[in-house]
Amino acid sequence: MNQLAGFAPTPVAARMENHGRSMVKIAMQSGQDLFARTGSMVAYEGFVQYEPNPPAVRQIAGQWITGEGTPLMKASGDGMLYLADYGADVVVINLNGEALSVNGTNLLAFDASLQWGVERVKGLAKFAGQGLWNVKVSGQGWVALTSRGAPIVVDCGSGEDETYVDPDALVAWSPNLKVKGKRSFKASSMIGRGSGEAYQMAFSGQGIVVVQPSEDSTDRLRIRS
Amino acid sequence: MAREFQRGHKAKISDLTAGTDLYVGVQIGAPGLTFDISCFGLDANEQLSDDRYFVFFNQPKSPEESIQILGAQAGDTESFRITLDRIPQQIQKLSFTATLDGAGQMSQVGPGYLRIVAGGEEVARYAFDGSEFTTERAVMLGDFYLKDVWRFAAVGQGFDGGLDALLKNFGGEVAEEEPAAAPQPQSGGAPGFAPPPGGAAPAPSFGAPAAEPAPAPSFGAPAQPAPAPAPAPAPAPVAQPPHGFAPPPGGATPPQAPAPPNVHGAPTIAAPLAPAPGQAPPMPPGYGQPGQPAPAPQQPQFGQVPGQTQPGQAPPPGYGQPPQAGFPGQPGAPSPYGQPQGVPQGVPQGGGPGGVAVALQKYREVPTGQRWTQQNEQLVRVDLGADGSPVLARQGSMVLYQGKVDFSYKGAGFAGRIVGNATGQEMQLMRCTGRGQVFLAENEAHLHPIELQGDAICVSAENVLAYDESLQHEVRRIEGHGIPGGALFTMQFQGTGTVIVKTKGTPVVLPVTPTTFADANSIVAWSAASQVIISSQVRLRRQAFPGHSGETVNLQFRGAPGNFIVVQPYEI
Repeated sequence: MNQLAGFAPTPVAARMENHGRSMVKIAMQSGQDLFARTGSMVAYEGFVQYEPNPPAVRQIAGQWITGEGTPLMKASGDGMLYLADYGADVVVINLNGEALSVNGTNLLAFDASLQWGVERVKGLAKFAGQGLWNVKVSGQGWVALTSRGAPIVVDCGSGEDETYVDPDALVAWSPNLKVKGKRSFKASSMIGRGSGEAYQMAFSGQGIVVVQPSEDSTDRLRIRS
Repeated sequence: MAREFQRGHKAKISDLTAGTDLYVGVQIGAPGLTFDISCFGLDANEQLSDDRYFVFFNQPKSPEESIQILGAQAGDTESFRITLDRIPQQIQKLSFTATLDGAGQMSQVGPGYLRIVAGGEEVARYAFDGSEFTTERAVMLGDFYLKDVWRFAAVGQGFDGGLDALLKNFGGEVAEEEPAAAPQPQSGGAPGFAPPPGGAAPAPSFGAPAAEPAPAPSFGAPAQPAPAPAPAPAPAPVAQPPHGFAPPPGGATPPQAPAPPNVHGAPTIAAPLAPAPGQAPPMPPGYGQPGQPAPAPQQPQFGQVPGQTQPGQAPPPGYGQPPQAGFPGQPGAPSPYGQPQGVPQGVPQGGGPGGVAVALQKYREVPTGQRWTQQNEQLVRVDLGADGSPVLARQGSMVLYQGKVDFSYKGAGFAGRIVGNATGQEMQLMRCTGRGQVFLAENEAHLHPIELQGDAICVSAENVLAYDESLQHEVRRIEGHGIPGGALFTMQFQGTGTVIVKTKGTPVVLPVTPTTFADANSIVAWSAASQVIISSQVRLRRQAFPGHSGETVNLQFRGAPGNFIVVQPYEI
């Protein structure tokens, strides 16, 4: 049993903290509710309650909801909550007034006190099969993202240079960036042989883009029924 | 990320982790040698005043279980669990040591480390190897020590004697009659040690404050049993044995010092007897006085630092430890995984630096001017345009690019397709041309850029992520009996440029020796100069699954020294 020493949780120092690479530890307190991906809870201590189909989500993210129910649940209560997404790396961010757009499948949890909204990524939805939903969060509070593999943060820089991202690898970006879809079709690739990179998202402006080292964008939390 | 410590580095443990339940792993090894790794719980005088705090294979834990030895695991030769907030107050320092069992010397040890794991993450690592040592038979690897707060120091100090000498140095064997006998082993053992026992070993790394020596000389000379409280604030009433408490200059003043009066009967010379920390203690005149309990342990081995706490006195402010648990008399069973955190009181909200940029800082892209740059284990960046030559990459492996880059289909050509189809060594490639940076990754696979400078390497096609178009590649055939398809195929790259090899999981790179074998399904790459021999052993696997032929193909490699093979922990 002692062999597990070193894996005990560290004392609470912040609302959200990493426990290892792929687990987030959230200090819950009543009055400070949390939205988390349905099915992401791996453990909790204390008195925490979950509401699977919160009305707030229905209001804000009505279009995101499919027949399977809402992708978000609301957690409230007092205690420690541990979330994970099938071993993906977790990144916790204290927004502190800033804003971030997060790919729906890469969003793990966020404070309910944040302003948030769901939008379909313009120009792209019709190409990317499952539809690319992104959640824009802003305000004072914490967000936890997942990334399959250690992510990389790239400055978009400025000027005319655009940054092109494989939509399957996209995790998050600064909402003030301009986004457009790009189809990299060329005459040669029209004849049945693509380069494999047919659609990209082009970002321009001042801000960052977070990308994961994997094109696996399947929503594991959603596959279970 | 783990902080890398070098010999002499030190840090507050609170800076490394907020946790107090720590796992300390030590890896040390040498061919044919065995090591005893132990943890000494020392008092303020650097002495093992309570031998229940000598935690080693025969005594797996301290009374209140704040120090436990866990055995070999997870790549560590020995490991400990340390619960800092349960360590009793009289223990001021934990010294992690490794001693040779049997013949040998420390210069023979291979690369090893001492690491601290907390909260599921490695937070500190002190790596060492045999080149730092010579003929020593023991080594003090690292210390946890209490100086206002618990700190960690990478010591890496060799020690000529073995475990016995180490024990003696810490006054361990004589713990029972410590007051009278402690000086004996102290001085007797001295010649045998490489470092003088006066704390030369630890002193440099701990930076003993030089303030101490000052009062000493004036004081050591008279050798009065009971120095008048008058001279200097330092020595006077401090004498009480168990604490080698030297009032820090300016810090604690005499009124605070006189703790329990006369515990051991006779008043003693006060702590700062040693002329200077870091010298072997010469026998001062007063040393041999009868009835003088324990001068030796009191010398300020570690440099009595300001604010050093001592039993019996209020802990200094930085200590901040509620005295709830872990006193010697109270063997209360600790909960196995540390105290359940329960409901946190007052969740910190928005503490610390905030903002997206801060949180993501560690994931920033690393700038270098090279053509191929590894961003992290799973991502590489290629700078196109530096020399204009295109890169071939597996289709779909681009995750992001900046600049003007074209991606086009790279056909293998007619002959290439025939070969590819027939051998299974075909690649769906795209050609990246233009100017800009392309980030490549695939399915969290670990990536390894291998730079070829005229040499050649064999890689199985499914493990190639990208390569410079300037490299020549061809399909190579390995023949042998008993292979399901009649032969094995592999890609050989040759020329000048870089190949990115991907592996699932952390691979192992083995040197080619007369007896190097690998599973044909797990082999990723090998240097092309080594010769491959099929040594298939046809046998029935116990868990042969339906459709599996039950044979395994082993490849044997032969070659001159310098050749290597790469094997991944995943069988495709």
